[in-house]
Amino acid sequence: MSFRNKIFLIFLITVLASVSLVAYGVTHYTQLAFEQQDAQRTETLVAQFRKEIGQRGDMVVQQVENITNSEPTIHMAIDLARPNTDTSIFLHDANGAAQTYNLDLVEFVNSDGVLISSAQYQARVGYKNDWVTASKNWDGSRAFLKREELPDGVALSLTAVRTYSVGDKTLYIIGGRRLDENFLASLVVPNGMRALLYRNLESSFVPSSLTDASGPVAQADQFQPLIEQMQRQSQQQNVLVKTIQWNNDPASAETFHAIPLPGRNGELLGVLLLGSSGKELVLLKRQIFKIAALVALVAIAIGLLLAWWISKRITRPVEELANGARDVASGRWETHIDVQGNDEIGQLAGAFNHMTNTLAAQKEKLVQTERVAAWRELARRLAHELRNPLFPMQITLENLQRARQLGPAQFQEVFAEGTATLKAELANLNSIVGRFSDFSKMPAPQLARVNVNETLRNAVRLFEPQFTAVGKPAITTEFFLTESLPEIDADPDLLYRAFQNLVLNALDAMPAGGSLTLRTTDGVDTVRIEVSDTGKGLTPEECSRLFTPYYTTKHQGTGLGLAIVQSVISDHHGTISVSSEEGRGATFRIDLPKRQQNAAVKPKPAAPTAIEAERTAPAATD
Amino acid sequence: MRFTKSLSLAAISASVFALLASAPMLATKHPKYGGTLRLELQIAKVSLDPREWKTGSVASAENARLAALVYDRLVTLDDYGRFQPALATEWSHDAPSKNWQFKLRPNVKFSDGSSLTAKDTVTALQSLLPPGLQISATENGITVRGTHPVPDLLEQLASGRYFVFRVQSDGSLLGTGPFLLAESSAATPSEANPSVLKPAHIKFRANEEAWAGRPFLDSIEVTLGDPALRQILNLQVGRADIVDIPPDLVRKARQDNLRVWSSPPATLLALRFDDAQPGASDPRLREALDLALDRETMANVLLQRQALPAPALLPQWLSGYAFLFGTPMNLDRAKQIRSTLPANVAAGSDPLRLRVDAVGDLMKLLGERVAVNARQANIAIQLVAHAAPSSMGAASPSPSTGVHLVAWHYDSLSPRTELLNLAHYLHSEFSADALPDTGDPEKLYCEERRLLGERQLLPLLLLPDYVGIAPSIRNWTVSPSGEWRLADVWLDSGEPAASDTETTPSRNPAPGVHP
Repeated sequence: MSFRNKIFLIFLITVLASVSLVAYGVTHYTQLAFEQQDAQRTETLVAQFRKEIGQRGDMVVQQVENITNSEPTIHMAIDLARPNTDTSIFLHDANGAAQTYNLDLVEFVNSDGVLISSAQYQARVGYKNDWVTASKNWDGSRAFLKREELPDGVALSLTAVRTYSVGDKTLYIIGGRRLDENFLASLVVPNGMRALLYRNLESSFVPSSLTDASGPVAQADQFQPLIEQMQRQSQQQNVLVKTIQWNNDPASAETFHAIPLPGRNGELLGVLLLGSSGKELVLLKRQIFKIAALVALVAIAIGLLLAWWISKRITRPVEELANGARDVASGRWETHIDVQGNDEIGQLAGAFNHMTNTLAAQKEKLVQTERVAAWRELARRLAHELRNPLFPMQITLENLQRARQLGPAQFQEVFAEGTATLKAELANLNSIVGRFSDFSKMPAPQLARVNVNETLRNAVRLFEPQFTAVGKPAITTEFFLTESLPEIDADPDLLYRAFQNLVLNALDAMPAGGSLTLRTTDGVDTVRIEVSDTGKGLTPEECSRLFTPYYTTKHQGTGLGLAIVQSVISDHHGTISVSSEEGRGATFRIDLPKRQQNAAVKPKPAAPTAIEAERTAPAATD
Repeated sequence: MRFTKSLSLAAISASVFALLASAPMLATKHPKYGGTLRLELQIAKVSLDPREWKTGSVASAENARLAALVYDRLVTLDDYGRFQPALATEWSHDAPSKNWQFKLRPNVKFSDGSSLTAKDTVTALQSLLPPGLQISATENGITVRGTHPVPDLLEQLASGRYFVFRVQSDGSLLGTGPFLLAESSAATPSEANPSVLKPAHIKFRANEEAWAGRPFLDSIEVTLGDPALRQILNLQVGRADIVDIPPDLVRKARQDNLRVWSSPPATLLALRFDDAQPGASDPRLREALDLALDRETMANVLLQRQALPAPALLPQWLSGYAFLFGTPMNLDRAKQIRSTLPANVAAGSDPLRLRVDAVGDLMKLLGERVAVNARQANIAIQLVAHAAPSSMGAASPSPSTGVHLVAWHYDSLSPRTELLNLAHYLHSEFSADALPDTGDPEKLYCEERRLLGERQLLPLLLLPDYVGIAPSIRNWTVSPSGEWRLADVWLDSGEPAASDTETTPSRNPAPGVHP
């Protein structure tokens, strides 16, 4: 993974983590805040409803007192105090009182507890209401919840009782309002909430007893556990809370606060249920989540762009440095990086530029030094090479001058001998000049598909007669060639010539005989050729200078053989190295690429044979 | 001078006062022709076709009252219970009372001017008479032949549906009565509130060619379907002259100093058992319920003494022996009988269902009272709503209803006929053969007791008809069959008469004599 990708990824992860953390935090704390607010609102409403019921009760008490103190009621009480009063004349009085004082329930009961008039259940007139005569302290009492028998069933009412006494006769006035759908409809319930009433008038849960402002509640059985729990703890008067999810959608969840409504004797007669819909909260959470997701996406998108821009901005000088280093590695020492800024990267770039400048200067100086050294070595070698034939020629010329004093016959003999020597030395001089001329005229490689093993065998085959020449120590050859070695792109003639020089060099290194080992191996992108001898070996210094032109360790060498080898290998973008220990021979290793980049490759030519090679062989010997 | 002037003023004032004071007296003594009588009835719809009336239904009584304005009967009853000639001037029958001959009044014309014929009479009555009676035309009258003796034929013909009419080609009916139908309009939805119906109106015009003479009134306007309280208010403010008043408002009407006329008990409120609900067929349950019913409280408290406890099927005035039956409330005995019944019969899980077939809040209140009474005897009764207003005869029992609160209106002046009609209504095996040909009260009593013993019908209350009458109405009389004699009424704008029993020459001339 590139440095830019790493920086991009780190930046992206950082942005994602930050945005996710912020989104979660906002959602979580918003939900908590709303839940707390909702709980506070519900508690407030519960308190308000308790207060509201109390106020309704006070209103009922007030209306019952108004009925009690009204003229018709006083007349009724007076009439009932008389003996043998026809009570039927009061039959409709309760109806009138109920309408006048806006009460749902009004009843008049005489001293004996007999119902005289009833607005809500006229058919019960004449029957006794013992519960009302059982207590004597009705005046000043508050309204209470009561189970009310009605023609169409049982109802729940908020009831108050007052009395009016004439002599020893007491008239009981009972008034109340039904706790039913109308009562629920009259309650002011905020949006998102609703009020339900369960009339606990049966021993077990009755779904139809649960109503809201519009009538019976659907799926009332969902409330059964809550109601039954309330019935079990009716004496504790605690508000119970339960959340009901009506379907699979969490937004359908509704939290109900059950407020017990006890009767006069503490019995549980009703349960007021305040439902708070979770829909608003869920929708809000969803909305927040959507917004958070949207913000996160935008942030991520911006983060991506920023990451891309920043990573690019940060890594560009680094990449330029890397490219510069790569260029330097490839030999372009004059490489210069243009990096702005004074930060660490800028300082690094400056140091790099300084380094390359220094390297280039040092290289130039080295080249010049090496060039001077090479010229000196060439002059020395040339002087050495030329001095060797010149000295015999000088001796021969001096002999010929001295022979002019000899007789003709003797002179003729000396002259013939002298001219022969001069010819030989002149030929020697010509040979020396030819070798130098050949080195200077190294051609460019003409690439073709070459079988390295075959070329190597041909090169060795040329010198086989010398390995077994009579009167000379024998040299044995050993081949460890990889037969599956692929063909490579190379100039077969130059490669043959390089191999010749290596074999010849090994031959010269083993004057006392030995073993010549040739080995080829297949690499990933290269092939390796190893030529090993068992000669006297090389010192480390010799190894380091071995490929320098005109450097030789031999008395008769020109120092151009291995230079030619290195030149050929270098022209093929290969490498050559030597390893040796003094007295144990030397091994030359050549690594050649299998394929040459951007080079035209001719069809495969026949590998140079030994005869052809001999014809084209350089004066290749060191 | 001044003294003389004062004397003159005093004399004039005294004269005017004397004149005003004597006006009612003058008005009472001298009938007046003209004017429109405004009649308001609570029922929303009437039928003037006697062939459509259901025997015993409350609606048929209302129908008969209005039909009596348009049609005549063969005979009528006077205030002393004597039969008086109407369209028939003479009548006779054979010894066993099987064959009856009626001589028709001559020169009687229908409202279109055509003459009444014996064929018209035969056609009209044949469609109304019960099976077993054949009617045919004679030279100057008609003959009625029965397969059984019909000793009470005159009582039948003087009451109920037995009007004489002619069916016209378009299906409408013509009569010979004192009024003729001028116009009628059905109830229409109110423009302000389509769910509320505007009352229907019927207008009757005086029949100038009536054989008994032109009625005093020029016309009668009938408004149908107005609520009772509004009718009473209209009566109070003078927008109505005659209104019918439900029993529960009679006391109020009287407290408001309205003139209220009441009839003898004319309607029987009763519980009719229906075998559709299995538990209701148990005679012990019926007996327990019968014993639990507190009829006295119903009559004296709920109906504020405007009704009578019903001890029997027929009222005292009709049968003459009703006092022999008692109202058998005995709660302890009811509980005892109830305890012998299976616990699940008429229990909370499967209560006896009571449907109030009779119309009105009062009937519902009575139904509730029945339920309360029954609960005291541990009999659970549940009230169920009735699908539509229905009369007693039209009662269509709900499949699961065990008891109906029904109203039965006595149509006939014959106790024998009325008992027969009740038995027919109850699908009892009561046969006309079982009744004495002569209508022997003792045998009637036995048959009625047997019918009561079946306990298919538990009598509750007897209700009179109550009518509110405006002060301007003069000569208000009602026939023994309950029909209002509006042809004899005249309107007066003076003070109300002290009594309704003024001695006014009847529009009807002497029996058999045309004016």
